[in-house]
Amino acid sequence: MDRRKMLALLGMSPALAAGSPAYARTAPKAVPEVPSGDGTSEGLITVMNPAIAGKLATRVPLVPPLDTLQGKTIYMINLSWEGPDAANYFYGAMTEWLDKHYSGVKTVVKVTAEGMFGSDPSILKEITASKADAAIVGVAG
Amino acid sequence: MQCKIPAIGIASSNIVHYATGYNFKYNNGMPIRYVSVPFPFTGQPRAVDVGYVTGKDMLTGQPLMTAVINALTSPLTAEEKISGAPPEEAVEPRFLSPDSEDNLRRLFDDKEWTDFNSIILPTEKRVTAMLKGTSHKPDEVIKTINITGGARQLTVEKVAINAVMAGASPEHFPVILALATQAPFGNSTSSMANMVVVSGPIRNRLKFNCGTNAMGPYNRSNAVVGRAFTLMSKTAGDLRNDVNAWETLGNTMQYNNMCYGENEEALPEGWDPLHVEMGFKPTDSVLTVGTGWSSIASVGASQSIYPTHFLMRDYMSSFCASGSAATIVMDPTVAGLLKDVHGFKTKAQLSEWFSRNVTKTNASYWGNGVIQSTAVPFALQGLEPYASWRKLPDDALIKPFTNPKAIHVVVAGGKVQTMWFVTDFGIRRGVLIDDWA
Repeated sequence: MDRRKMLALLGMSPALAAGSPAYARTAPKAVPEVPSGDGTSEGLITVMNPAIAGKLATRVPLVPPLDTLQGKTIYMINLSWEGPDAANYFYGAMTEWLDKHYSGVKTVVKVTAEGMFGSDPSILKEITASKADAAIVGVAG
Repeated sequence: MQCKIPAIGIASSNIVHYATGYNFKYNNGMPIRYVSVPFPFTGQPRAVDVGYVTGKDMLTGQPLMTAVINALTSPLTAEEKISGAPPEEAVEPRFLSPDSEDNLRRLFDDKEWTDFNSIILPTEKRVTAMLKGTSHKPDEVIKTINITGGARQLTVEKVAINAVMAGASPEHFPVILALATQAPFGNSTSSMANMVVVSGPIRNRLKFNCGTNAMGPYNRSNAVVGRAFTLMSKTAGDLRNDVNAWETLGNTMQYNNMCYGENEEALPEGWDPLHVEMGFKPTDSVLTVGTGWSSIASVGASQSIYPTHFLMRDYMSSFCASGSAATIVMDPTVAGLLKDVHGFKTKAQLSEWFSRNVTKTNASYWGNGVIQSTAVPFALQGLEPYASWRKLPDDALIKPFTNPKAIHVVVAGGKVQTMWFVTDFGIRRGVLIDDWA
């Protein structure tokens, strides 16, 4: 799921993180005491738990959305998930649709150099330098 | 680098719920706005992919482009503004609540902690006995399992619980701990499988089967060690069907993970055991894990009209050659023929021959989704031979196994038939079992 890396890089806002509501931590539930021994008590068995508690991800807020697409530049980032062709066709059709319905929208399609398994710093750099307004990342599956 | 601009994801309907559910909860933490297209997406005629743009968003049912515009422009919800550490989940208790054997068995199955075959219930007494099989402390963390998120810490005690469940004995425990360093097993939308090879003196000490039926259900050590890999992968990886384990067909090899020992005593002279080829000493006991998808078996005896390595080569041409990986498992009689009749004095010579002689059409190579995902980026970066291969005609023959060192040969079996398997398994670096005694 390495598109998350790129999405995280594109979408995270430290400013929002500083000003947003934060979770309150709650105390972990107590671990029940149980007798040791062979695990049997009055016909009941006590066994050890194979499961391991998972650590929840730290929440990252989204940056504010756009007011409108009119006059905006949108990067369409092709992750080459199972190959670049299908996403290129798809992004091409999206571009045509936007040209028809939102004449002021500029789109830029980019194929990541590292594919679905890595982010592409050069694209992130280009997005920043070009002052792009939004990004669409995909197509995963 | 952060761009701080609105971004949305587009994913097919097969995995978008994982992306917005388990992945968000345990791995990502960002409530990414997704728009979803039908699956399959790749492999469709161009008109189908283009048509998805004027179709429906699979998540909301809205016209897809309306969903895209909404995702980029609708105001943030309170949920989307949350930041920081989440509330702690309830810790997993070390012990489960006392219950009847039937109820506990049902619980273990309901939680998907088993392979749905009967397990040995892990009482504290049994787990304590298992822990006597190692000098390592129960709370030692072997590795953090994060295959689909959750950063679960796999400890020696948790592995002991799984070892008990699998039916292992304390003497198996160092092998299973070495195996734990390689957990979890493969998990992808395609249907992955694994191979566990045991090498060195421990094979004989624990009576691993390296001979007749080495890969069959005829030996306890092979059975319990292979099964332990499945159980620890599922419990430590929190792998649950259709939640974060979504191999579309699954793979029956995941029940035992092809666990066997190499028949080192039957190797032809000059052919080194797998672990020695990796640089270990012959007296080291080593466990090696391979991961891939496919295994093709020979049928019937080798024939002089078409030498065995020719047939292996032909079968290997059907593999995707991802990472140039292949592992060939052959009976000692096959190894003997290849050495004595066909002149392969070492395993390495045979691997080099395969690297030079396995061919497939360019279209067949690029017609594999794993290759598209992994090798296209190399080609786009101009790396050879991928960049040149991308420019070849579809029917051009290429030699996809570019790295002979990634083609491994293991000898096992009982000299009953000139039998062999070719697999696309990539072999990882071996693990010294003695480190876990």
